[in-house]
Amino acid sequence: MSIITRSPFLFRINTGSCNGCDVELATTAMIPRYDVERLGCRYTGSPKHADILLVTGPITARSKSYLVEVLDELPNPFVVVAVGTCPTSCGIFRDSYAIEGPLDKYVQVDVNVPGCPPRPQAIIDGVAKALEIWKQKIRNQK
Amino acid sequence: MSANIINFLIFPGGVFAVLFALILVSLERILVARLQGRIGPVFYQNIIDIVKLFNKETLIPKDAKDFVFKFAPLFGFSGMLVLIYFLPIPGVYSGVKGDYDLIILIYFLALPAISYIIGGGASSSPYAAISVSRELKLMLAYESAFIIIAITIALYVGDGKGVFSLKKIIDYQLQHGAFLFDWKMWPAFVAFLIVLLAALEKPPFEIAHHNDADIMDGYLIEYSGAPLALFEITSALKLLVLSIVFQIFFWPSTLSGDLFINFLWFILKTIILLGFIGITHATFASYRADQGFKFLLKVPLVLAIISLILVLLSIKGLI
Repeated sequence: MSIITRSPFLFRINTGSCNGCDVELATTAMIPRYDVERLGCRYTGSPKHADILLVTGPITARSKSYLVEVLDELPNPFVVVAVGTCPTSCGIFRDSYAIEGPLDKYVQVDVNVPGCPPRPQAIIDGVAKALEIWKQKIRNQK
Repeated sequence: MSANIINFLIFPGGVFAVLFALILVSLERILVARLQGRIGPVFYQNIIDIVKLFNKETLIPKDAKDFVFKFAPLFGFSGMLVLIYFLPIPGVYSGVKGDYDLIILIYFLALPAISYIIGGGASSSPYAAISVSRELKLMLAYESAFIIIAITIALYVGDGKGVFSLKKIIDYQLQHGAFLFDWKMWPAFVAFLIVLLAALEKPPFEIAHHNDADIMDGYLIEYSGAPLALFEITSALKLLVLSIVFQIFFWPSTLSGDLFINFLWFILKTIILLGFIGITHATFASYRADQGFKFLLKVPLVLAIISLILVLLSIKGLI
């Protein structure tokens, strides 16, 4: 059964991020040198395929409903990774009237990757940690 | 068990075909990764993906047509399984002998696309609806070129009378030399490679799905769990089927009478074709939908018709 934990599908959602973290996130999979595919990962275009959800951005009022919808659509078991300072603590946008974050109001966050933006290595490390947690969740489900 | 059942379930259809096709898809991913300077996944990555997807929860949308949504993947999957049992593999497997296999091949090759269309249409997502309409147009665009290539080959083999038997096409090329090295068939060969990329929806024709920035995952967007796994197997089997079709149409040469050496030669030829697909995948970006259809309606169709005219002229003895 441990073999299936080597095939995580990733889905990323931008909840009003400044795109800094998204650039770092895209580079981890796309650009030579930083390769999440060697962990067996693959970016998918639909949350229904995903095992690991990567969230960037403080949750803005406008994007909140989309985030809640995506969280509903994830099949069990799934792992949530907060990429960057924004989803963990809302960062510099903390007291804004337009912010409905942080992320752990809506779902139990499994891995936090702090940084503004975090380095690609840190994001890959976060995904690797998420894999361990995912393995635990599959074992508990059985 | 009779030989037919073994051929259908174990080799070359069934177990062997599914595992080999999935490994081919993983090899293509590794090749693309290496060309981009990455390491890439392990060579059995897609098999793990399939095992995982079968263990995942299957979600069915509230608005979807339940029965059609669940059973649409079976259309394409069973069609491809039958087709691999049906097709001869040069020097390895003689296939089901019939005089009109070529026509059956043309019909069955459309089944995966039809199952995508049915499944996407039943899933009640606007993204799937857009993707289904694109898939339909894409199919219309490449099928016409494929049919002209098939008719060209049938006319060439029969010297003016259409021969629609794949066995006879292979035998003709074994005697007279492969069509790959015949200058009259070169335009058709280029057209076939373009049709191959369009049928597999690899870049530059990644229009209807896996096009994340444009329509997310297209017709697959609402699928999860076992039906998604069946769709993945179907697209992998389509790659294997098209590589066998490539070898029947253009390059059926065998090395010796020995079955095992011919089998290794078959795998090598498949991997050469896979290398071409991987290099185009790593090199090209995708067309926009309208550009893709325009290109498909112009270039491969014209190339196939040029080959048809050349073959007709050579039958009349003019060149």
